[in-house]
Amino acid sequence: MANEPLIEVKDLVVRFAVGGGLKRQRIVPVNHVSFTINPGEVLALVGESGSGKSTIGRALVRILEPSGGSLHLGGADVTKVKGKALAAYRREIQMIFQDPYGSLNPVKTVERHLRLPIRKHKQDREGGISEQIDESLQTVGLTPVSEMRVKFPHELSGGQRQRVAIARALAVKPRILVADEPISMLDVSIRAEILQLLKHLQQEYSLAYLYITHDLASARYFGDRIMVMYGGQIMESAPSDELVDKPRHPYTRLLLAATPNSAHTGPLPETSNRSPDLSENRQGCPFADRCPYVMAVCRTQDPPLIEQSAKHLVACHL
Amino acid sequence: MSNHEAINEAILEIKDLSVAYGTAKGDVLAVQDMNLRVLPNEIMGLIGESGSGKSTLAYAVMRLLKGSARVVKGSVRILGKDIYAMDKEELRQFRWANISMVFQSAMNALNPVLTVETQIVDTILNHRPQLSRREAREKAHELADLVRIDRSRITSYPHELSGGMRQRIVIAIAISLEPSLVIMDEPTTALDVVVQRSILDQIKEIQQRVQFSVLFISHDFSLVSHLASRIAIMYAGRVVEVTEARSLMDAKVAHHPYTEGLWRAIPKLTAKSVALEGIVGTPPDLLHPPSGCAFHPRCRYTFEPCRTVRPQLQDVEGSEIACHRFVPEGIQHGQ
Ligand SMILES: Nc1ncnc2c1ncn2[C@@H]1O[C@H](COP(=O)(O)OP(=O)(O)OP(=O)(O)O)[C@@H](O)[C@H]1O
Ligand SMILES: Nc1ncnc2c1ncn2[C@@H]1O[C@H](COP(=O)(O)OP(=O)(O)OP(=O)(O)O)[C@@H](O)[C@H]1O
Ligand code: SF4
Ligand SMILES: [Mg+2]
Ligand SMILES: [Mg+2]
Repeated sequence: MANEPLIEVKDLVVRFAVGGGLKRQRIVPVNHVSFTINPGEVLALVGESGSGKSTIGRALVRILEPSGGSLHLGGADVTKVKGKALAAYRREIQMIFQDPYGSLNPVKTVERHLRLPIRKHKQDREGGISEQIDESLQTVGLTPVSEMRVKFPHELSGGQRQRVAIARALAVKPRILVADEPISMLDVSIRAEILQLLKHLQQEYSLAYLYITHDLASARYFGDRIMVMYGGQIMESAPSDELVDKPRHPYTRLLLAATPNSAHTGPLPETSNRSPDLSENRQGCPFADRCPYVMAVCRTQDPPLIEQSAKHLVACHL
Repeated sequence: MSNHEAINEAILEIKDLSVAYGTAKGDVLAVQDMNLRVLPNEIMGLIGESGSGKSTLAYAVMRLLKGSARVVKGSVRILGKDIYAMDKEELRQFRWANISMVFQSAMNALNPVLTVETQIVDTILNHRPQLSRREAREKAHELADLVRIDRSRITSYPHELSGGMRQRIVIAIAISLEPSLVIMDEPTTALDVVVQRSILDQIKEIQQRVQFSVLFISHDFSLVSHLASRIAIMYAGRVVEVTEARSLMDAKVAHHPYTEGLWRAIPKLTAKSVALEGIVGTPPDLLHPPSGCAFHPRCRYTFEPCRTVRPQLQDVEGSEIACHRFVPEGIQHGQ
C-alpha cells in the first residue's frame, strides 16, 4: 500500500435547512468529519440511521456541495473543481446509491445502463462492448444474461436492481467506490458472492471503498477499518477486528449489544431511545442523551476524537 | 379487533397459487403452486433468493399485480374471503379496511411534494374521518416516537430524510391503519440494528395489544428468526421449507439443502477472516426451470430422483421440507 492516501477528507461540514415555515431549522448531519482512505483500502462506515452516512458519500462524489472542509484525491484539491476536472474526478470515484428503486432510469434497459460506462473505458480492454456487458452481468450473477440484458428496471426484483447498479459503477473502472448499502436487498448467498467480488477487485486492481452499511458482520468481513458515526460525528474508528473485539465508545458498545451473535450481545445499554439531535446549536457529545455513562462535562463539551492506541480513535470523555 | 374472534381459521390463506409474467419469450412463472397460511396474530417470515418471487407473491396477495403479470391458478383468501372473487369496489373497500403493505420500494414511495406529516395525517383522517385534524396530528407525533424519529423532523419533505427515516415513516403509516394483515417487504434494509430492534420490538408489542398478522419478507436470517414465529423459505417460485423460527438457525434440526446453504453464507461477527461460502452455480432461469427439484443443479446432495421428480412438502421433524433426502425410500411421488 502506498503511504499517500488516495482520498483525504478534512473537516467536512454539511448543513441543511429543513422543515417549513415557523418550524424551519438548520441541521448539521456532517459535523467536522475527517478521514483518509488509502489505495486499495476498505473503510467501512456504520452508524445510526439518519446520522449522516449517505450525506458523506454524496459529498465525496461531489453531487452535494459541502458547507465547509476539503476533499483531496491523490494530493490534489478537488473540493471545488468544475467542468473537465470534475468529469475526470468522477471517473476515479463512483457511487452505488442506497435506493435501487430510485437510481436506475425506468426507460432504459439493463444493457443501456451498462453500455455507456463500458464504452468510455473500452480502450484499455479486450473484446467487444457486447461481450463486456455479458461479462459484467455474469459477475454480478444476473443470469441468464441474454434475458437480463433486455429487461427494464420495473421487470427486475429489488436485489436484481441493486446488482445492475453495482455492475454499472464497476464498469467505469474507478479507483474508489462509495458503496451505500450495496447488498442490503440481496439474499445471503448472493451477498457472499458480491462481497467476494468486491474483495477480489480490491486485491486485483487496488480498488478502494467507502463501504456504508448497517451490517457490522459484513463491515468486519470486508472492511480493513470501521468508522462509527453518530449524530453527524465520528465516534470511533479502528481496525475492524479491534473495533469489534474491543469497542471503546458507548455507542459502539450499544451497536454491538444489539447485533445478534456477538460477544457483546445483550440488553441494550442505553438510557433513552431519543433520536440524535442534529441541530446547529446542540452542545456537548451527540450521544449524551442516551449514554449510560454520561457525566456533566459530556453535556457541555464536545469530546475530541483522540487516538487512544495505535490507529484506534475514540471521541468520548470517559 | 373483534372481527378476528369470530374467525379461528387463517387470516391469510394462499392455495395452489401460480403467478406468471408474460414476456416475449413466454411465461415466466415467478410463483408456482404456492401454499401458505398465516394465522391470526401470527408473524410469518418469508425468506428466499433474490428474484425467487417474494415481492410478486406480496403483490398477488394484495391483488395489485400490474402489467404483464397475472394469476394463472389458485386462490388467495383473506379473513376467509376470496379476494379474486370480489368486484373492484368491494376489493377497494376490503383492502382499505383490512390490509396494509410496506412496499420494497418504500424508500421512494412517499409523495415528494408533501411533507411527511401531511401524508401521515391525511392517511389517518382518510381512515378515521371522525378524528379532528389536531387529533390526527397528535397521533402522527406518537407514530414518529414509535419509529424513533424526532417529532420536529416530520415536517420535512421526503427528500430531506435519510433512507432509513423514509422507511420508518412508511412503516408508521402502515401500522397506523390498524389493519388485520400487514405485509412488509424488506422494510428495514436501511436501519441500523439498534433502531431495527427497537422498532420491531414495538411492532410486536402493538401486535400483542391490537392483534394483527404480519407477513414479513426479509433476507436477514437473525432478524426474521427474532421477529417471526414461523418462517417459509422460497426457491425458484416455490416454498421449499416451512419451519419454526427457533429451528431456523439450529444446525441440529433438519433443513432443506438450500436453507443450509444460505446459513453457511452468512458472515459471522464472531469469526475473523473466514472465507464466505456462497451457493455454487447460478440462480435458476425461471423461463426454463430445472427439471425435478429446481435446486438440484446447485445442491451438494443431489442424487437420482432429484433430476426427474419434483419433491413435495413433507413433514420432517416438525418442519415441512420439499427434498428427496427426507422422503423414505419407495414412496417418492409427484411429477
Ligand atoms: N437534501 C436534504 N435536505 C435536508 N436534510 C437532509 C437532506 N439529505 C439528508 N438530510 C438529513 O440529514 C441527516 C443525515 O441523512 P443521511 O441520509 O446522511 O443519513 P444516513 O446516515 O445515510 O441514514 P440511513 O442509514 O437512514 O440511510 C438526516 O437527518 C436527514 O434527514
Ligand atoms: N414485469 C416483469 N416482467 C418480467 N419478469 C419480471 C417482472 N417483474 C419481476 N419479474 C421477474 O420475476 C422474478 C421474481 O421477482 P420478485 O420481484 O418477485 O423477486 P423477489 O423474490 O422479491 O426478489 P428480491 O429479494 O430481489 O426483491 C424475478 O426473476 C424478476 O426478474
Ligand atoms: S431434492 Fe435433491 S437436489 Fe433438491 S434439495 Fe433435496 S437433495 Fe438437493
Ligand atoms: Mg443513508
Ligand atoms: Mg422483492
